[in-house]
Amino acid sequence: MQGTLVHLSDIQIRTKRGEELFSGLNFTLLAERSAVIIGGAGSGKTTITELLIGMQRPISGTIELFGEQFQQPSRRQIRRIRRKIGGVGGPFGLVPSLTVAENIQMPLIIAGERIEHQKERMLKLLGEFSLLNHAVQYPASLTRVEHMLVQIARASIAYQPLMIIDEPSAGLDSRTYARVFDHLIQASRSGRSLIILTSEKPPMEIPNCDHYTIEKGMLV
Amino acid sequence: MTQARFVLRESAKTLYRHPTIALGSVLSLTLIFLLFMIFWVAALSTDRFYTDMLRQVQMEVFIAESVTDSGLVRIASAVRSIDGVDSLRQVSKEDARQELARLVGLDLLVGYDTLNPLPRSMILTVKQPSLTVAEMMRIEQTISVIPGVEDILYSRDWLVKAEQTRSAISTVGFAIGLLILLTAVITSSNSIRLMTRARGFGFHQMMLLGAGRFFVAAPFLLEGFVIAGISALFGWLATWYGHTRVEFTQFPIVLPTAKYILLFCLSAAMLGAISGLLGVRKLLR
Repeated sequence: MQGTLVHLSDIQIRTKRGEELFSGLNFTLLAERSAVIIGGAGSGKTTITELLIGMQRPISGTIELFGEQFQQPSRRQIRRIRRKIGGVGGPFGLVPSLTVAENIQMPLIIAGERIEHQKERMLKLLGEFSLLNHAVQYPASLTRVEHMLVQIARASIAYQPLMIIDEPSAGLDSRTYARVFDHLIQASRSGRSLIILTSEKPPMEIPNCDHYTIEKGMLV
Repeated sequence: MTQARFVLRESAKTLYRHPTIALGSVLSLTLIFLLFMIFWVAALSTDRFYTDMLRQVQMEVFIAESVTDSGLVRIASAVRSIDGVDSLRQVSKEDARQELARLVGLDLLVGYDTLNPLPRSMILTVKQPSLTVAEMMRIEQTISVIPGVEDILYSRDWLVKAEQTRSAISTVGFAIGLLILLTAVITSSNSIRLMTRARGFGFHQMMLLGAGRFFVAAPFLLEGFVIAGISALFGWLATWYGHTRVEFTQFPIVLPTAKYILLFCLSAAMLGAISGLLGVRKLLR
């Protein structure tokens, strides 16, 4: 499908406990559009994230990511897809043994980018996210919001076309949540697609965004 | 930061962050490699000892009374042309008489100068690669069919025993060597596993960003390589130091040559890299 980043069709997933989580999940995300998926605890938000980054495999249905079939992906295919996705929250976290600067830089190191480009991008993002003072700190010494900002900066550094934000409100007060959303809106305006999986309605409107709710294992 | 620099830095960081575990693995591996080196030196020295002893093995070919002097020359030439024969010395009746007198302490043939019953013989030595029971038997058989040869004597039983002992030493050595190397792999992979345990989450995160398994495992492969390589070098230095302090008069201590030491250290380092891979393999699944 031309211009389609994500296409999930008739997805069925069985949890580790053997329960069926989705009964025919359908979802499509076009390039430069975003989606907010709202669902309660245990509704399967993180499972959708895991599905998109190859941590979970459906028992039936088809997955297409960036124009590639993602049914029984090889390790190489998973790596390739993951490099196109910037992840925040949920299964994503920071590498505890790396500094803030190194964590942000990591996608570019993995991609084998030129050092000058890495430094330039890293410094720009540290500035944008007001993290310059924390550049040499380790994640253990960061606050929740700083943690979140570092993750967003990391998810933006390599111009990944898709950003998945799993539960952006987790542990944040309304003011900081709004600050995080400011950055997400900027990311969306820069032409990137976002999938925001959250348990509550976002405080601000994301441009070009579709809204979904998980109900009885389906997206409506 | 380039990928190579990241790998180098992460590798050094692990050693820096877990100095006691790193020191522990260097010490335990040094001890294991020292044991291996001692065994290696012992095996080499024993081998040299046997080789030196075998070099003294001689074969004595007795010539029939009826053989003329020209026949004797013909036999000597035939024996010399046999593959594996190194040198040949002819023993005349008079030489034999003198040898007997030397062995017994008095000349038993005084008064029987014209009736010396001792046979003429040829004493031959065999080249190093042919100093085996099978080769000696082949030479013996070839000589035995030469007309004029009456009897052939050599210490076959001793040679059989020496060969069996040498083979037993190599078999036991091989088994012990394998055991020591296996211990080295287990020891270093366990210490690397200890160092990686706290970093499982970080590995997982890097893989979620699209890092390959080799990229994540490389610092630990390098670490295993360095730790095992250094330990092997220390093991060698300890052996060398011991060699300068201890001296045996009965037989010389043989040390491996520099080429083999280098190969040993490189192999140990490779073994360390394999241990590193074994240490992180669970985290890479």
